[in-house]
Amino acid sequence: MSDIVDARGLSCPQPVLLTMEKIKKQTKGEVAILVDTDTSKENVSRAAMSQGWKVKGVKPDGTGYKITIAKK
Amino acid sequence: MSPFGLFKKRRDDGPATQGVDRGFLVFENTSEVIRAEQVLKTEGWQIRVMGPPPEIQSGCDLVIEFPPIEELNILRALREAGTEPLQVVPVSSPLLQPVDLFHVRDFGQHLMVRGANMKMTVDKATLTIVNISGGGCPDVPYLAQAMVGKHLAQAPSPGKIGHTLCGYALQLAFEEMGRRCLR
Repeated sequence: MSDIVDARGLSCPQPVLLTMEKIKKQTKGEVAILVDTDTSKENVSRAAMSQGWKVKGVKPDGTGYKITIAKK
Repeated sequence: MSPFGLFKKRRDDGPATQGVDRGFLVFENTSEVIRAEQVLKTEGWQIRVMGPPPEIQSGCDLVIEFPPIEELNILRALREAGTEPLQVVPVSSPLLQPVDLFHVRDFGQHLMVRGANMKMTVDKATLTIVNISGGGCPDVPYLAQAMVGKHLAQAPSPGKIGHTLCGYALQLAFEEMGRRCLR
C-alpha cells in the first residue's frame, strides 16, 4: 500500500513541491500522487525521475491521474 | 515578415502613442524581439521586454515597452536594422498594463520565479531546479527535461537551448533566479 499525496486542485508548481517534500522524507518505497491536470502529471513525473524515482504507472483517476512512483 | 503582417501594421499617419504614457512594440517572432531588443539597447534606448497585456497576447508572445516620445526615432532605428514591428500599441488604459516581468514566490523550502509566461522553481537548500512550467510553446517539455534536476549553476541556459519566446522568458527567470540564489 503506497502513501498518497493529494495534489488535486493545486496550481503549478505546488504538486511538484508536495511530491518533493514527500520523497525527501520517504527516501524509498512507493508513493502515489493524485493530480488533476496533464501539466501536473508531466511535471510531477519529471521531478520524481530527476530524484532517482521510477514512474511505475500513470492511471486515470476520476477527472485526473494517479501517478505511482517507486524507489528501491 | 509574413504577408499577413502587412495588414496588421498601423497606418503611417503619425505617432500611434501620442499623448500616452508608454507603448508596446509587437513582433512576429522570437528572433525579431531579440534582434530589436539588441538594436534598441545598443543605441541606448530605455526599453524593456515584457509579458504582453491579455488584449494582445497570442501564443508565447512578448512585447517591447518603449517611451512614446521616442516612437519615431525608435521605429526609424528598427526600420534601418530590418526589424520592423507588426504593431505599435499605445497604452493608456489600466486594462492594458503589462504582465509584471518577474513574480517571485517563496514556498519555504522552494523559491519560484516567474518570468513573463514561464515559471522556474528551485530547492533553496540544494539550488536544484525542481520544476519548469508555463508557456505552451513546443520546446517547453524539452527545456524542462534539460533543466529539471540540475544545479542552478550547472543547468543549460534556456536562452541558448530554447527556440521560442518561452525560452526567452525562461532565460529571464533563470537570470533572476541566479541573481537571487547564486550571489
